[in-house]
Amino acid sequence: MSEVKMVGLTIDGRTVRAAEGTNVLQAAEQAGISIPHFCYHPAFEAEGNCRLCLVEIEGLPKLDLACSTVVREGMIVRTSTAPVLEARKDVLEFLLAEHPLDCPICDKAGECKLQDYYDRHGLFPGWFLEAKEKRQKKISIGKGLLLDRERCILCTRCVRYLRKVTGTGELGVFERGVRAEVGTYDDAPIDNNYSGNLVDICPVGAITDTDFRFKTRAWFLEKRPTVCPRCSRGCAVIVESVSGYPLEEGERRVFRIRAGENPAVNGYWICDFGRAGRRDIDEGRQERVIKSASPESELSWQKALADVMARIRSVPGPERAAKVAVILNSRMTREELTLAKRLFAEGLSLDKIFFADPKPGAADGFLLTEERVPNARGVLQAGFSPRLPDLDALAASVEVLLVFGSHLLDHFSEEAVSRALAKIPSKFLFSAHTGPLDRLAEIVFPLAVSAEKSGTYINIDGLRQSFGRAAEPAPGVVSEHEILGCLAAGLGLNVGEHDVR
Amino acid sequence: MSEDAVRLIPADEGSWRLEAYLRRGGYEAARKAVTSMAPADVITEVRKAGLRGRGGAGFPAGLKWSFVPQGGAGPKYLCVNADEGEPGTFKDRAILVRNPHQLIEGMTIAAFGVGIRKAFIYVRGEYGRIAGRLREAIAEAEDEGFLGGGIFGSGFDLEVIVHLGAGAYICGEETALLESIEGRRGQPRLKPPFPAVVGLFRAPTAINNVETLANVPLIIGRGADWFLGRGLPKDGGTRLFGVSGAVRRPGLYELPMGTQLRTIIETHAGGPPEGVAIKAVIPGGLSAPALRPDELDVTMDFDALARAGSMLGSAGIIVIGDKIPILDVLKVMARFYAHESCGQCTPCRIGTSWIHKTVTRIGEGQGRASDLDHILRLADGMKGRTLCPMGDAAALPVQALVTKFRDELEKAVAR
Repeated sequence: MSEVKMVGLTIDGRTVRAAEGTNVLQAAEQAGISIPHFCYHPAFEAEGNCRLCLVEIEGLPKLDLACSTVVREGMIVRTSTAPVLEARKDVLEFLLAEHPLDCPICDKAGECKLQDYYDRHGLFPGWFLEAKEKRQKKISIGKGLLLDRERCILCTRCVRYLRKVTGTGELGVFERGVRAEVGTYDDAPIDNNYSGNLVDICPVGAITDTDFRFKTRAWFLEKRPTVCPRCSRGCAVIVESVSGYPLEEGERRVFRIRAGENPAVNGYWICDFGRAGRRDIDEGRQERVIKSASPESELSWQKALADVMARIRSVPGPERAAKVAVILNSRMTREELTLAKRLFAEGLSLDKIFFADPKPGAADGFLLTEERVPNARGVLQAGFSPRLPDLDALAASVEVLLVFGSHLLDHFSEEAVSRALAKIPSKFLFSAHTGPLDRLAEIVFPLAVSAEKSGTYINIDGLRQSFGRAAEPAPGVVSEHEILGCLAAGLGLNVGEHDVR
Repeated sequence: MSEDAVRLIPADEGSWRLEAYLRRGGYEAARKAVTSMAPADVITEVRKAGLRGRGGAGFPAGLKWSFVPQGGAGPKYLCVNADEGEPGTFKDRAILVRNPHQLIEGMTIAAFGVGIRKAFIYVRGEYGRIAGRLREAIAEAEDEGFLGGGIFGSGFDLEVIVHLGAGAYICGEETALLESIEGRRGQPRLKPPFPAVVGLFRAPTAINNVETLANVPLIIGRGADWFLGRGLPKDGGTRLFGVSGAVRRPGLYELPMGTQLRTIIETHAGGPPEGVAIKAVIPGGLSAPALRPDELDVTMDFDALARAGSMLGSAGIIVIGDKIPILDVLKVMARFYAHESCGQCTPCRIGTSWIHKTVTRIGEGQGRASDLDHILRLADGMKGRTLCPMGDAAALPVQALVTKFRDELEKAVAR
């Protein structure tokens, strides 16, 4: 990287150094001075329409925009003088004059810039005596997004996002003056795989998502970062959940997934496919250990795992290579894969180690990759050569089968899988979600999903990304890591659990 | 005829034809520039002449051209601002109707000076028929080799395209005009960068008003000194003063820059009709803060009007008689700016609408004692805080009316 030239300036009496080309707003932010703004977004060129970031710059006759003014050597900026505070207050006053103030029923309440800024920079008595403009409040603009034109402050982040990031340009500004409004062209709906980001970048509650609308209040949400498991890009995401599980029937634990920031991978955006991963966390989950022989009985996973160990032990050591098989998948973390390698390939000397992953999808040319698993590179790095099993061969020789995940069905018909499994005396399924394989297994173990685990994925570009637990695990679920560690201990194998990366 | 040769608006009815223009000595200045002058000398001469922009801001034209980078491989453009939308203004229209060739000649000289080969004339949507005449004049000039390829047998080419607007006041703001020509929603751009550096289609662009460019042939043809002699030492030439409202002879008057406002109204436009007294005068188009009758002894030039707390602007003089309630003027003003605000930036979008709503309510007899102070506060909230000059253009005249005619408005509020 070429050397970045630094520029020295003074902001609120503080000496600040910023890279050449930085704008005053960014330079201030880097120095811990936040300048309020609506329309500015670091992903786009400054637009300067909200007028909230006006600051005093010495030598200029009037206030100027922090978002569009590039830092200069020796520049003196003041962000909290009386004229600046007055200007901020006036802008907020203008915006709130025509704002519906329907915060009690607004999804954005609690994380709304207009609310936050009024609280910090406004607090004026309202004196707008006129009738507010009546506008449409529930316009479907495509992909489950709703536009509320009364709440819209016309910052045009959404319009610019669709022009500059997705290049699809579905939104524009129509009419002018106080009648100006955001809308789609000839009612052609927003139709791209990145529409959910519009909700993230809308600074107010003008664009909301029907998947989240009226489901909870923002202040109840606990926000934790993780890496999206739905393809091999490895985008940063924020999982937003409420604690206090178990919930009432049908109630959610995870309310939404939003884009996290990672300049090296996804910038500020995630795809709608990744965002929809919220459902993977709450819906269709395996809730407990189920033993087909006594489906009603409550059984801990540790106890149930003893059965698995007993079956493995029942196969004499030299015969295991031929008679014990495992099917893994590329959703497992790098740590889990190392454990699996040491346990199955090295400890038990198994030959029959297979992988069954979701079928590849179409890449969309932006973030979404073909591989619909997060850790295919991790599988290779752990020393595996992933391949699908031959069902007939499996059925012919295997006596104990451990299946992690349910993606065999992505490659074989249910009938073919049933036929093969029927011939295998002992088969165990480890799966996060319920599915047709459940009834075929002797015992089904409820697995944790990615968001409930910590670990490392290696993305399509070879970037190693570790993540912590982003949502409290559903009760009773167990991670592959726990399963594998317990199996190793039970079978008396040293897998060096503390050095699995 | 000799007088017509130096007038922006000739008396002769057929003056718009090329033949008539040539009889007045037309295209001689362009010939002189293109065949015998260095481009830089053209700019120097115009700078020396003190030609200030006739669109409203009064920025020195030659200085503006000098900001356009010289040389360079990429295209550069000239845009003529003929989006004459300022209420009370009808001067560019007269040039387009009566003397289009003088504009074209001025464009040729400017383009030669700045090194431009393609020009656009942005004509306001309401001037559709006038644009037709302009196109005819361009065709005449092209036929005679005054436009097009190899002008006057030189290596200099200039293509001129007439672009019709769609009726938005904001497109008279130079960067909104560029957006509009590019086919986008007409709304101003952030400055800097200025159009001279990043303008039309992101290329360096000179933008000048019609009247400004129509003066250029006079400067090149007769010299900067002659031009200065027609106006003021630092503000050369004549000005087209459009007088409307409470006068006996409303119309367009071409007079030296710096003519007394009172002289224009009383002597040239004949003063107010019988039984009418002047209540207020808006000296430079609707956006210029109004003057009271006791403030009319001011010379009509950029600096003097700025000192008087107003502006020369487009030199459209609106005379308001004493039979007109100031509230009515305020209503028209407020409605106009609320209707024409592009809506891009917060203070102008909401401020103009809020003022309009308040003024309308006062007009309906629902005024409150605090309204006038609120209007002043709203104007303060817009002044100097908007993305383009329209915020000031809307706030300042409102503020002037409320401040200067407060007693009358107080009565209207209390009614």
